[in-house]
Amino acid sequence: MKIKVSSFASLALMLSVLFALGGCEKHDHTEQENITTIKLLVTGPGFDEVFTWNDADGPGGNAPVIDEIALPASTTGLQCAIVVSDESQSPAVDYASEISAENEAHLFTWTVTGGASLTITGADQDASGKPFSQITNWVTGQASTGFLNVKLYHEPTDKTNSANPGGEVDFDIAFPVKIQ
Amino acid sequence: MSSRRQALAAAVCLLGSMAHANAQHCHSALRGHIYESSPREPLPYATVFVRETGQSGMSDETGYFEIIDLCEDSSYTVEVSHIECDHLVRIVRVRENTAIDFTLEHDAVLKEVVITEKALAPAPAQAQATVSQTDLDATRGANLAETLRKLPGVSVLSTGTTIGKPVIQGLHSNRIAIVNNNVVLEGQQWGREHAPEIDPFSAGKIMVIKGAAGVRYGPGAMGGAVILEPEPLRKQPGFGGWISAAGNSSGRGGILAAAADWRNPVSSLAARIQATIKRSGNLRAPDYFLHNTGLAEYDITASAGWRKNRWEFESGISSFNLQTGILRSAHVGNLTDLQLAIASDIPLNNQNRFTYAIDRPFQQASHLTLRNRAVLRINDTWKLSGQYVLQYNQRREYDVVRSSGSASTRPQLSFQLWTNTLDAAIEHQPIRHWQGGIGVQAIQQTNFVGRGGLIPDYNALGGSVWIMERRRRYPQPWEFELGARYDYRHTAAASSGSLNNIDTLVHFGNASGTTGIIYHFNRHCSVTFNSGLAWRPPHVNELFARGVHHGAGTFEQGNPALISEKAWNNNLSFQWNSDQWTAQVSVYSNRIRDFIYLDPQNTFVLTVRGAFPAYFYRQADAILNGLDGCASIPLGKSLHFEPGFSLIRGRRVTDAPEGDWLPLMPADRYQYAIRWTKPGSEQRESYIRLGGTTVLHQSRIPAAGLLKPVPAAYTLLNLDGALQLSTGKKPVEIGLSVTNLLNIRYRDYMNFFRFYADEPGINISLRLKLII
Repeated sequence: MKIKVSSFASLALMLSVLFALGGCEKHDHTEQENITTIKLLVTGPGFDEVFTWNDADGPGGNAPVIDEIALPASTTGLQCAIVVSDESQSPAVDYASEISAENEAHLFTWTVTGGASLTITGADQDASGKPFSQITNWVTGQASTGFLNVKLYHEPTDKTNSANPGGEVDFDIAFPVKIQ
Repeated sequence: MSSRRQALAAAVCLLGSMAHANAQHCHSALRGHIYESSPREPLPYATVFVRETGQSGMSDETGYFEIIDLCEDSSYTVEVSHIECDHLVRIVRVRENTAIDFTLEHDAVLKEVVITEKALAPAPAQAQATVSQTDLDATRGANLAETLRKLPGVSVLSTGTTIGKPVIQGLHSNRIAIVNNNVVLEGQQWGREHAPEIDPFSAGKIMVIKGAAGVRYGPGAMGGAVILEPEPLRKQPGFGGWISAAGNSSGRGGILAAAADWRNPVSSLAARIQATIKRSGNLRAPDYFLHNTGLAEYDITASAGWRKNRWEFESGISSFNLQTGILRSAHVGNLTDLQLAIASDIPLNNQNRFTYAIDRPFQQASHLTLRNRAVLRINDTWKLSGQYVLQYNQRREYDVVRSSGSASTRPQLSFQLWTNTLDAAIEHQPIRHWQGGIGVQAIQQTNFVGRGGLIPDYNALGGSVWIMERRRRYPQPWEFELGARYDYRHTAAASSGSLNNIDTLVHFGNASGTTGIIYHFNRHCSVTFNSGLAWRPPHVNELFARGVHHGAGTFEQGNPALISEKAWNNNLSFQWNSDQWTAQVSVYSNRIRDFIYLDPQNTFVLTVRGAFPAYFYRQADAILNGLDGCASIPLGKSLHFEPGFSLIRGRRVTDAPEGDWLPLMPADRYQYAIRWTKPGSEQRESYIRLGGTTVLHQSRIPAAGLLKPVPAAYTLLNLDGALQLSTGKKPVEIGLSVTNLLNIRYRDYMNFFRFYADEPGINISLRLKLII
């Protein structure tokens, strides 16, 4: 009889643990950042264009769709604001406002390569007066082609060293550039 | 014993002075009585068996037994066993008509179960290695992979210093099984940064079976198995237990473990509860702290066993919970970051300070096991057993996140795996010298993956049937083993979305087989040959993975068209075991058809984080050959030399470039140690040992692939020792172990984080164990 009782007790213990587990959420709520889309909103005197870098299905699968940045030659007064979002979700998740809210922990870097006559300078600073470069001023020279490389650094260690600010890269993308 | 066999034994074993000379008089007898310990009464129907000659006898109503025709002045191993009692082995020297009495403990419920278990299922006829009690004690508190690291043929695949997985003869993850207390661990083994959820403190014995072990442990054991067995439950009425405390200098870590044992004096009920708590902070490399390498772990296991008439029951519950930091510098955003990290001598983004805090990135893993087992002894020969196990594995990975929003409190990856297994077997004691059994198994699994997890949700169902038989007829020196198994697995995966949208069905069925031969030259020396066929279905990650593997800086893509891997493993091993000398060597060749590997594509996949080199899962035939061994050689009365080595060569034999080396094969390793044992402390050993390990540079790496740099060879010195004391009547053990004694700066090829930081420097660990 004693044996029956102890086996019953152990079964009861196991079942109760099972139920306790069953009560847990079946699906964990995970939160994973998935930047699919970066938009450059470029405005200036008589100029208003949006250039998009879009990888709707995330890494792999279909290759990203990248706009060519076509700009008029010898133009000053162009200003660019950058928008970062995840458009694989609906509604799309906007990361740009989050990034600007935590501007001390972020840095955008802008590098023109391949001979395009484009000069980009930061137009904003973070809360402690260090470079942030979410808003940039653009100046174009003569007709030329090349590439624009944009990076977002997270927790950079040296914000004044735009070539290698440290920290981690949240995105690292390149647009073809055509000055005409 | 024929002189020819004698000569062969001498030739193969090179040593040994067996005392069984032909000219001896073999007309002596061994006589005596067998008693129960309490009450001390004669025990009838106990079996007395002499290993060397294969003779056996049975005790009569008065407990008397007699075995005749033994040789005078020779040593014999005598096994005394009784169905209701403990089992006993003694080495007896037969003089003229020796009389000897044996006392057996009656009613030793669970000890008996364990022993009978072994009698029913003898150790596999294939190469194996057991962690010595000394090494088991010396590595108490380390993770499972570290505990196994010294065994020949075993190495560690690690992700930083906190995550390690055992590698058996070059194979790991889904290709080996980890069997804890008769339960095959079901977790997210596929991930190379997913360490097994096992607390080695709960094990009394840890053994590695090398080579195909699929017939015994299912398709997961294609390359071998790690077997953990707990100490048997208490046999004597009352309470017992132990408490162990340890401290480590690196990481300023502390480990506390304890076990309490109880046996009901008026019934057969015995129970144990065992718990382990670990906490440590940032480890230290010779030149800097490794930021975010702390860990916190707590594990608890409870088990109970009882029996009634011919029934035996065992139930257990165990819970494993681990939170482990991942080296901060190993978190890289993209390939440029990775190249910067590789180019830098010191870890980037590292904070050179000590802290116990565990920040992102970190992993949290927990594993719960519920186990119920029932055994019915139909008669002295046949036994029926059934086991039901539920396992719940939860793994959460917390990445470095950019925002302080909801992402900063939630995991970025999560996996939940539910596994139900049902086993039934009927096994028998020798019938016409054949011993073995037949069994069936059913398995059901459900996997939930949070959004963005490299693998899909899936439901899997499987069934297996196996048969295993072993023949030994004393005094013939041969032993044979034959086994066969058929497994079927059906997986329904949802490559996107939840399990409501099953879009892919895959099923695999395959047969596996094993055959083993053991030749016993004498009681010290034997040779084992095993040939096994094993298989493994491709895992969901190999079929469906698609994503960036950030730690490795690669883009990995699965292939839904993959078929099962088939291995044909041949293994020849030699064992020598005497009081002073031990040696084992094994040579193997493992031919794997359709071996699944990550193949570098020489193209880049453009992602928002930049371009990553593409690696696709592909299949080709591969062959792994190797040689490993270890020995303990007496140098003086209490001095031993302990050498060991592990060599492996893994190549592809089909698909261009043919003959290319396989990735992540352990480099050649040589071990050597000098051990001094305090005379007279053989039972509970007091010793001190100075040892070294040399790992050579791995030059055999695949031709393609971007992550080229392979660390240089290194040599580490280690020191360990133990001192056995008694306070009153309670035994106390004090242990010391120092790893990386010279504080060498080194990196290891089998560690994914070799790109980012050095391995830890010197660690001094002091431990104290009190047996109550």
